[in-house]
Amino acid sequence: MTPDESRAHYLASGSADTPLDHERLDLIREVLADPATWAEPPPGVADGLLAALGDETTPAVAAAPGGRARWPMVAALAGGLVAVVALVLSTISVLDQERDTVVAMSGTELEESATGQAAVRSTDAGWWIHLDVSGLPPAPDGQYYEGWVWSDDGEGVSIGTFHLRGGDGPVVLWSGVPLAEYPSIWVTLEDEDDGPEASELVVMTGRIPEPAEG
Amino acid sequence: MDREVLERFRLGDEAAVKAVYDRFGGPVFALSMSILGEHGLAADATQQTFVKAWRAASTYDAERSFAPWIYAIARRTAIDIYRRRSRLVVTDDVDVPTFPPGLETVWEVFEVRAALDRLPDEERQVVKLSHFDGFTHVEIAERLDIPVGTVKSRSHRAHRRLVEMLKHVEEA
Repeated sequence: MTPDESRAHYLASGSADTPLDHERLDLIREVLADPATWAEPPPGVADGLLAALGDETTPAVAAAPGGRARWPMVAALAGGLVAVVALVLSTISVLDQERDTVVAMSGTELEESATGQAAVRSTDAGWWIHLDVSGLPPAPDGQYYEGWVWSDDGEGVSIGTFHLRGGDGPVVLWSGVPLAEYPSIWVTLEDEDDGPEASELVVMTGRIPEPAEG
Repeated sequence: MDREVLERFRLGDEAAVKAVYDRFGGPVFALSMSILGEHGLAADATQQTFVKAWRAASTYDAERSFAPWIYAIARRTAIDIYRRRSRLVVTDDVDVPTFPPGLETVWEVFEVRAALDRLPDEERQVVKLSHFDGFTHVEIAERLDIPVGTVKSRSHRAHRRLVEMLKHVEEA
């Protein structure tokens, strides 16, 4: 249908949607009504990507022509993020920008407003995981939060428990298993009466970026 | 997508990766939501997709369309997460490969979202209010406080743009 034909149809029928439009749009109408189609990535995704890439070294190919000043904004943002956290959270340990890996943590559908990050560091005693979250409510009485690291084979290892009843704040967790093999960090809500296995109430997730190749 | 950006992306330039995220972050997240159904898992999948794409930049052929390439990475990433999640929830000793429901429509979700993101904001808004929220043109006009004729013309333009941008999906 040409623009003139389309205009004529509009003037004649009073509808801007032509039969041709309807026929074609029927094919995608279901997709347009699907909430997934319109879902917006939370801002934490962009931040997490910036942090993850800032933590990476050179990808599998050479740098872009003109030098190796790689995405200075990434380095600035990632460095700035770490610096702010280190300034605010003076407990336990000062974050080490050279040694820490920063992992973006996002709330699941159970706690969509929860957001935060985990700074991860390998130490002689094990893996130190500094979890800083906001928007996660205090655990209800009789329940508590539990941190986990998961392997890609579906094995989970608990890295500690907390309740946040004193308000948002940093939580320090420890892992005795190598995070290269257990790269996913999850937080679950657990019932005090339940066994040691992870509950299905996953409230936050994050993933440690794989080491750069090459 | 600008050819020069894609060429820089192929060379592993991070600024180009950022530009690619601005363009494809929405479609990748929509695809991930379609497969995983949870914001947190979809966010994880989206981040992983772009990190993987950045790492694999050297394998991208700038002569070919970019969308199917990043789509393939996103789909695989989301399915991997879905399978890991299934193993955690289903305590079954038998390790049977699992596939998420609705997998056959994820390409359409990805492409439709990519097309929607290229619409002007006011046209995208009308399409959303019409198809997702189910409002009539009159109701949309009341909500946006604009004449019904403006709603109709925006709807008309938006639909024609969508039809044009999604021709290849229809033909696939």
